[in-house]
Amino acid sequence: MNVKALVEENNRKRELLTPENEAYYSDLLIYIRLKFRLSELHTEEILMELLDHLLEGQQIGKTGKDIFGDDLKGYADEIIEQLPKSKKRELFPFISGIVANIVGWLLIIRGFLFLVLSPFTAVNSTVYPVTVIVIAFVIATFVIVTIIYILKLIEGTLFKEKQSKWKEIMKAGLIGAIGMALILLTVKFLPKIGPSFEFSWWASLLTGAVILASIYVRKQMNKD
Amino acid sequence: MSIRSQLLKGILDGCVLAVIEKEPVYGYELSQKLFQIGLADVSEGTIYPILLRLQKNRLIRGEMQPSESGPNRKYYFLTEEGKKALQLITEEWTQLSKPVNELLIGGGSQL
Repeated sequence: MNVKALVEENNRKRELLTPENEAYYSDLLIYIRLKFRLSELHTEEILMELLDHLLEGQQIGKTGKDIFGDDLKGYADEIIEQLPKSKKRELFPFISGIVANIVGWLLIIRGFLFLVLSPFTAVNSTVYPVTVIVIAFVIATFVIVTIIYILKLIEGTLFKEKQSKWKEIMKAGLIGAIGMALILLTVKFLPKIGPSFEFSWWASLLTGAVILASIYVRKQMNKD
Repeated sequence: MSIRSQLLKGILDGCVLAVIEKEPVYGYELSQKLFQIGLADVSEGTIYPILLRLQKNRLIRGEMQPSESGPNRKYYFLTEEGKKALQLITEEWTQLSKPVNELLIGGGSQL
């Protein structure tokens, strides 16, 4: 059974839980799934086993607490400690795939915008690679910091009796706003440095299309 | 942690291996069998970290199979290494339990 089928089966079976057990199990599920370094297949397999167990126990009136104990976080940590780590070979294509996807779409949007705007306004299609790299670095840093921060926020809301989420939402919004402001300031005030070249709308569209097409081809090849 | 669960902790791996040796079981079945044997103090969830560890050490292996009641379950089988480990644990336990029994229950008359 592959990961996707397990996740779908998990979603289906979770609906059979009582509201109380569902809340209990979901905390466990989110906490363990947030550990990205673990092998995805093994993670989903053990989550399915725990869910099956909880469902069988539920039929004779047992709760999640009866089965997995009072210290759910401690229990989840025990499970995590025993799960095998995912191999770096799996992680690298995943991240590089995301980056290539973003770059591809950016180039296509840029090409398309320049094409549409050029009859109405003067478009500057000169590109300064050094400046672009600095901005990309700032954006990447912001994205990574935000993701880690939000994951920590989510983790903080788990395993609590009463949950008030608005505080966490405010915090997430705030870091988003600060990050965006930093990026816009960098873009505005960063001097254009280093060599430059013309990168016309059609070249931009073409490069973007090639990148997206090669991602698509690789996906198709990996399917079987 | 109660004294009983502390004592149990060290030998639980052996108990799990012994149940699996008799016939392949899935998680819920395993917990039921431990309960029926009389090891009621093991909180049911405890078996899963143990099962993961035993798999990691290649003493057991898991396989998806249809269960008696229908849906697929992950059944656990003892490997050759698992059989050897169970044998070793059984020997160690025999050597350990005899003097401890004599000391604690027999009153340690030969001391």
